[in-house]
Amino acid sequence: MSERTLTDLATAVKEYDGENAAQLAQQALDEGTEPIVVLDALTACIREVGDAFGAGDLFLPELVGAADAMETAMPIVVAALKAAGGSRTSAGKVVAGTVAGDIHNIGKSIFCTLLTADGFEVIDLGIDVGVDKFIATIKEEEPDVVAMSALLTITAQEQQNVIAALESAGLRDDLKVIVGGGAISQRFAESIGADGYSPTAPGGVTLVKELLA
Amino acid sequence: MLDGFTRSFPPLEMLTPEEMESIHRGALYVLEKTGMGITHPAALKQLADAGCSVDVESGRVRFPAWLVEDCMRKVPTHFRLRARNPEQDLMVGGDTFYFMQGMGMQYLELDTWETRPATGAEHRDAMIVADALPNVHLAEAWEIYTDRRGIPPVMVMLENLANGIRYSTKAQVAGNIQDTEIFGIMMAQAIGIDLFPEIEHASPLTIHDGGVNAAYRYMDAAMPICPALGVAMGAQGPATIAGSIVLQVAETMGWAVLTQAYRPGAPIAIHHGAGALDMRTGIDIWGGPAVSVSTTMMNQMLRRYGIPIWSNAGFASDSKKIDFQAGFEKSTGALMAALSGGHLQLFQGGSSTELLFSPELMVMDDDVAGWIGRILQGARITEETLAVDVINEIGPIPGHYLGHGHTREFWNKEDYFMAVADHEPYSAWLTTGKKDMLSRATEKVEEILATHKPAPLSDAEWEAVDDALSEARNHYRSKGVISDADWSDYMDELKLEEGEHLARA
Ligand code: B12
Repeated sequence: MSERTLTDLATAVKEYDGENAAQLAQQALDEGTEPIVVLDALTACIREVGDAFGAGDLFLPELVGAADAMETAMPIVVAALKAAGGSRTSAGKVVAGTVAGDIHNIGKSIFCTLLTADGFEVIDLGIDVGVDKFIATIKEEEPDVVAMSALLTITAQEQQNVIAALESAGLRDDLKVIVGGGAISQRFAESIGADGYSPTAPGGVTLVKELLA
Repeated sequence: MLDGFTRSFPPLEMLTPEEMESIHRGALYVLEKTGMGITHPAALKQLADAGCSVDVESGRVRFPAWLVEDCMRKVPTHFRLRARNPEQDLMVGGDTFYFMQGMGMQYLELDTWETRPATGAEHRDAMIVADALPNVHLAEAWEIYTDRRGIPPVMVMLENLANGIRYSTKAQVAGNIQDTEIFGIMMAQAIGIDLFPEIEHASPLTIHDGGVNAAYRYMDAAMPICPALGVAMGAQGPATIAGSIVLQVAETMGWAVLTQAYRPGAPIAIHHGAGALDMRTGIDIWGGPAVSVSTTMMNQMLRRYGIPIWSNAGFASDSKKIDFQAGFEKSTGALMAALSGGHLQLFQGGSSTELLFSPELMVMDDDVAGWIGRILQGARITEETLAVDVINEIGPIPGHYLGHGHTREFWNKEDYFMAVADHEPYSAWLTTGKKDMLSRATEKVEEILATHKPAPLSDAEWEAVDDALSEARNHYRSKGVISDADWSDYMDELKLEEGEHLARA
């Protein structure tokens, strides 16, 4: 019975139906499936979608739709996991955002979605994210990686401010910092003491994996 | 005043009156039900006083239809934009179409097709070429080479604007980043010109504080403003053209209320041009047919409201090279914008989704601009141009028109003769180096730079520009926006530039 529910769950995600996915996740748990098994099913499904995007068989709206559907079902599974004394085992946890003064959204969002599709837990803070918000979220969420995007040369500098704030808060050594966006280059990333840079979103995912390996 | 190109026939329309009404009502409903995200305290107060329902806590403003209609009517249908040379002032609105060159972040190397930050001299040279080209009516300095070697990012707009004022007598565009508009306005007022500022707007339905501040400052200086609606279909706007028009009309309405509540009769223009997103990469497709259709429809709506238009279609191709794709994507977009009654067209010299600007491409595009302008002018139908008597006189073969006085009178009035497009006979082309349009344009750039001397500023004006620059440099340095290391690079760069700049008159 529960095997069937997990198949339906994957189908719901692939049909971008978050509500149904959440319901089926709950049903699977009610049927006695281990939370970790439900989580694996979700992750496997979204990876499949991510790979299809990478191969050019699916497009951004499908990728984002499926990731959203998965994110809707996720809290239920994570809660069950916690109740069972476990925790979400993701490929890693990433806090991401476009830095203060910058409202360019698209590239950063693609990057976040690809990460999600690769099994990462992603907290997307959105655009125009100030230093304080980065720091507060990082304290609360204790991510493995913080990823910043900047499209304007003028806001690129903000990434350095975030890194400096991480240092003075004593958080810098606990995580990896990566940067990206139109205004960023490898040289710039090195000059501000970031751990990595990628000119593309898929490259960014590979980078995160390498840094956490 | 510059005449620009006058359209001599009714604008191209794609929407029926009923369809326009649906869009209009849809936009009104969006503004009334959902409203816009605005957090600027003074704006919130002003909008509440004007009759909007304002939720300060969540930063949401809802606009009643009566207020929107009232404010839309208050927006002037025309405005004058003062240039350094009064003969190059623009009268924006009506049936006149103007071109401006731009925009693009970096300098394009023609041998590798790679881009890199531009030097001050390259920026200056681009302005001189823009000053010389006949179909560049507005010479925008700010958003060409937004990546300048050695210049701290916060100073780029002002350094670029200073070059624009110094090396061109044509009207200027500006922008807003970290309050730099304060110093830009200072410069412009010292010279007695207007700036035409592109004001930051965030689709969907959001106006950030920086945009409001800049709008207020430019309006205080009695300058027109131009909110830039940045809708990509499927990302910051609906995936449908119709939906993206509803959204952009709603945003236009929001800006009309914001500006007219602040300063009734304040001139504004709307900068628009929604394109589809390439869903494989997230890149905006700026040369696709969707931009042409959405521009045509949005132009039709803005003309209904009598609001001046800055249209984008065709301003940049996605091509990284100066090639066939760049040519057709840019030309068709701009042609559609012109046919559908736009007023200002960003066009010459930019490509690669705004990532490059090239003087050579600017020269080539200027040919296209003249070609589009010629199309806009249509054909005069008079007794003389109908030439009935001449046709009777010449009769059948062996009659021909080459030697007729009518031909001598009219031959060079009916077509636009391009400066760098290749119209050489094949045999001549074989012996003159098989030049294509790009190689001719490269020569043309060299020729302009060797011969064209833009009218110089007076010493007092030059110093006024310098003063505004120094004030800005010191301001951003003392605020720590420019770091010590950047400051020393900056000073070195300026020294380098000093040697390269044109001699002052
Ligand atoms: C769309 C756009 C806008 C839209 C943004 C809409 C939105 N909500 O996102 C609007 C119209 C609002 C806008 C406004 C402005 N913009 Co703008 N904009 C662009 C444009 C054309 C495309 C950006 C884009 O979405 N590209 C597509 C995505 C997919 O690419 P991407 O963001 O680079 O992301 C890719 C990679 O960089 C990477 N990536 C991105 N982030 C991250 C993060 C990490 C960690 C990693 C690993 C990877 C990664 O992954 C992505 C895919 O592979 C660029 C030009 C360009 N072609 O880049 C100018 C550009 C960035 N803008 C520019 C400017 C100047 C402005 C304005 C100041 C203009 C003004 N009105 O005065 C304002 C500033 C607003 C602000 N405060 O932020 C300049 C910046 C110049 C500079 N050197 O600083 C550019 C380069 C254009 C130019 N002419 O020079 N803009």
